[in-house]
This record gives sequence, C-alpha cells and structure tokens, in this order.
Amino acid sequence: MKWLSISCKEATYLLSKKEEKKLGFFNRLKLNAHLAICSVCRHFDLQTEFMAKQAPHVHADLTLSQEAKDKIQVTLTENK
Amino acid sequence: MHTSLLNPDKWVALYADALYSYAIPRVNDSNLAEDLVQETFLSAWKAKDSFKGEASEKSWLYSILKNKIIDHYRKKSRDIMQPLSSQDSSDTFFDEADHWTGEDAPCDWGVDFQQLLDYKDFYKVFEACKNKLQNIQQSVFVMKYMEELDSATICKALGLSSSNYWVLIHRSKLQLRNCLEKNWLQLK
Repeated sequence: MKWLSISCKEATYLLSKKEEKKLGFFNRLKLNAHLAICSVCRHFDLQTEFMAKQAPHVHADLTLSQEAKDKIQVTLTENK
Repeated sequence: MHTSLLNPDKWVALYADALYSYAIPRVNDSNLAEDLVQETFLSAWKAKDSFKGEASEKSWLYSILKNKIIDHYRKKSRDIMQPLSSQDSSDTFFDEADHWTGEDAPCDWGVDFQQLLDYKDFYKVFEACKNKLQNIQQSVFVMKYMEELDSATICKALGLSSSNYWVLIHRSKLQLRNCLEKNWLQLK
C-alpha cells in the first residue's frame, strides 16, 4: 500500500487540482486515502473551501470623496 | 436599443462607492481603483447601445469593472514576471518528510462556517492577508478566488505555464490560510 501514501504537502497540492476537477483516478485515490487518516489536512480542506466560497464576496466598505465623484462626473459629461 | 433602461446621470451617485469598494481589495491601490471606476463608467457609456437589459444596470457595470480588473493584472504580469523561485515562505509549514510542522499545522477553527455573523471583520483580515502575498501569487490568487476564473484563462492572461500555475496557487492558499488562522481567529 506504500504507493498510496502521500505527504501532507502533496495532499494539499492535490486539493487545489480537485477544486477544478483536474484530478486523475490514481491521484484521487491517493488524496482520499490521505484525508481518511489525516485530520490536519481535513481541516485544511474545510478551511480553504470556506475561503474560496467567501473570496468572491470580499469587498471594502468605503466611500469615494465628493471631490473624486465630481471629477468622475465631469469626465463623464465631457465624454458624452 | 434599450438605452431607456439605463440611467447614466445617476451612475456616479448610485454605484461609484460600491464599485470602488469592490475594486479596492482586488487591486490594492486607491488611485487605481478610482481610475477603474471612472473607466468603467466611460466604457459603459460608450457601450450603452449594446445594453440589452438582460442583466440589471448594476450587474452590467460590475461585469465591466471585472474585465478592467483582469486587464490590469494582464498588463501587470508583463512587469512582474519572474522565474518561479524554488523556495517559498510556505515551505516552512512542512518538515523534511513534507508533513505539517507542529506550529503551522492547521488546527480546528471551531467555527460553524454556516453561521458566521461578522463578515466585515473576516473581509478585512482576508484583504490584509491577501495583500501579504508576493506579487505574482497575489495576481493568481485574486483571479482564481476573487474573480473565479479557471486555470486556463489565468495561465493565458498572465503567460504562465500550467505547472507554475499549480505551484503558485498551492503556495498562495497555504499562506492565506495560515495568515487567516493567525490573524482572524487568533487561535495561536
């Protein structure tokens, strides 16, 4: 069964490929075997999955200064 | 023509702040973000006749801004292309056998991901952690996770080989997760 065994570094690398469904049959087998016995990599998997889910929604909570808005408005009007 | 569906006179008042707040964490530069907002409105104005009204005015403007952000990274990639280093700060997360070292091993966050309430705080830490990523890692990370592009599109835009891409994505994920654990939850 040694051929099945991979390191945590390799497992976390394969998880990125899995995200895009670019994992071949043997790598999928290796990854699943690793995750079955490694709770640390399972944490990694859950946490980075959460990270990926939130990333598109990340935004600041800022307002442009009135000066900047006026400048944009002027440029827009000039180009109409 | 569906120009009547658009309200260009109100764009700045209605959307400038939201578009700016979207751009800032993605380009990490307030002047550039401001320019991108202006260019978004200008491009939208020029393309107003092609607006079919299938999407809302707001999401149409967002899609124009998103293209501008990708363009920014495409242009930037020509300046920052450097050979992929064999060393990375995430290397210290693993020991000689490539297993997690004690200190950097992911621990149980004890968070119910379904019921997270304080997103504002999470977004702030996320942005700060993302800004700590090295240049090219940051480009790849933003395009993949914040702009949800696939690997082929990103490789093409940034002129990356597929093997370098996977190494960069792996490293950026390792570092971002580690930074979130240390700075968001402060478990360690």
